[in-house]
Amino acid sequence: MTAQPIEGVGIEALNVYCGVAAIPVRALFEGRGLDLGRLPNLAMRERAIALPCEDPVTNAVNAARPLLAALGPEVLATIEILIVASESGIDLSKSIASYVHEHLGLSRQCRTVEMKQACYSAVAALQLAASYVASGVSPGARVLVIAADVSLVDARAEYAEPAMGTGAAALLVSDRPRVLRLDLGAFGLCSFETMDSARPTPQLDVADVDGSLFAYLDCLSASFADYCRRVEGADFVSTFDFLAFHTPFAGLVKAAHRKMMRELSGASPEAVAADFAGRVEPSLVYPSVVGNLCAGSVFLALASLIETARPERAARVGLFSYGSGCASEFLSGVVGPEAVAALAPLAIGERLAGRVALSFADYGELLAANLCCLVPERERRVELGPSLELLERLGERPELLVLTEIRDFHRKYRWA
Amino acid sequence: MAPEAVRAEVVRAVEAAIVAILPELSAGAIPHHRHLRELGADSVDRVEILLGALDRLGLDEPLARFSAVPDVASLIDLLWQRKLAS
Repeated sequence: MTAQPIEGVGIEALNVYCGVAAIPVRALFEGRGLDLGRLPNLAMRERAIALPCEDPVTNAVNAARPLLAALGPEVLATIEILIVASESGIDLSKSIASYVHEHLGLSRQCRTVEMKQACYSAVAALQLAASYVASGVSPGARVLVIAADVSLVDARAEYAEPAMGTGAAALLVSDRPRVLRLDLGAFGLCSFETMDSARPTPQLDVADVDGSLFAYLDCLSASFADYCRRVEGADFVSTFDFLAFHTPFAGLVKAAHRKMMRELSGASPEAVAADFAGRVEPSLVYPSVVGNLCAGSVFLALASLIETARPERAARVGLFSYGSGCASEFLSGVVGPEAVAALAPLAIGERLAGRVALSFADYGELLAANLCCLVPERERRVELGPSLELLERLGERPELLVLTEIRDFHRKYRWA
Repeated sequence: MAPEAVRAEVVRAVEAAIVAILPELSAGAIPHHRHLRELGADSVDRVEILLGALDRLGLDEPLARFSAVPDVASLIDLLWQRKLAS
């Protein structure tokens, strides 16, 4: 193996896949008869919607495949660990990763595993992956972390329904961190048991809205305080050029930033608003047209930040991840012009803008199938016709993996 | 300060925090038996009202302590208790 100069450890490549269809949040509000006065605090414009032929496996593969294709087969061979982070499991034993490993064509000499801790697990996976790479136990090794989820909400979720997204974020972790060089050792943690939200069955999300928001905000304060204990001189205002947080809905991130600034800076409301516009808002452009990507949310925010702010020099980013239940982490890393160049060929913004716009009636027709996406049935055929018709409306697109049937509990896929 | 005087301070702080976020309400006419949701506060508004009340009272409490309060009266009682303990 050729020795490479170590330039740090972190994310070498990053892609997000947020489906091929979306509904304007206003249309969803109007269709459900929700109070439009609540739109400003939600701060969401569109919501990604899955097709009946999509599930956590297709989301994961469709996020990772373009990223791996761009890097070439020799890079593929260096992936020694595949971690799929998800709160959308499809079997109590067999992992999403086992299917993803197959459809990405990864080496048989690859550790393959699924991780779960609500929306937090992918950051835990990133940190464990980075530590593995940094340890030097296997020089040149890469770790593929994919955060993949689906949403299971309908009218019963009320104002959470317009906030939920679907899709996946794929990140390749290595010692060639073009996208984000992690500040190794600079992190803060906060975890404790709470029942703020959960998915107790494959068809049911339960949430205590206030419990979840309050736990998110408490964890942000506590994990940042722990970060400050580890990183001498860390300051919420001056240490980070940008901030990218787990985004259940964009309005919560705005409230979280305001709370932190109020507690830690003493800045005037006008200065807080200006700071938000400069350091946080670039991270919310993509999340506000996708919804909560769950485990992948903070990486969607990071992609949004890189492609919106387009840093022309090295810039430090403070990242915060929270997963109900609960576990959280504040960490940091450095992005720069290399990150902009690395993301550009994946055309994330163009693909988001090019999604098929659904009406409320279209959405209603997809909902029943989407709600049974995770149900472990013995036999099920996916009616592909409507999905393929919708894919036709996309125009030019990469080949996508689709779910065709479940046969004796085994999920079957093909490229379309 | 006498406990009843502290309670009056807490009521003023909570009502001021509510009116700051929901200006269509007036401080003296807030029904204390209602949940903030029923007064028109969405989840972000509820965060802001709670933070505003804590700020006015000079308290630093985990928000999770307040996630299950059923109405404004219970919020006032809990803040009163915390203020007396501080």
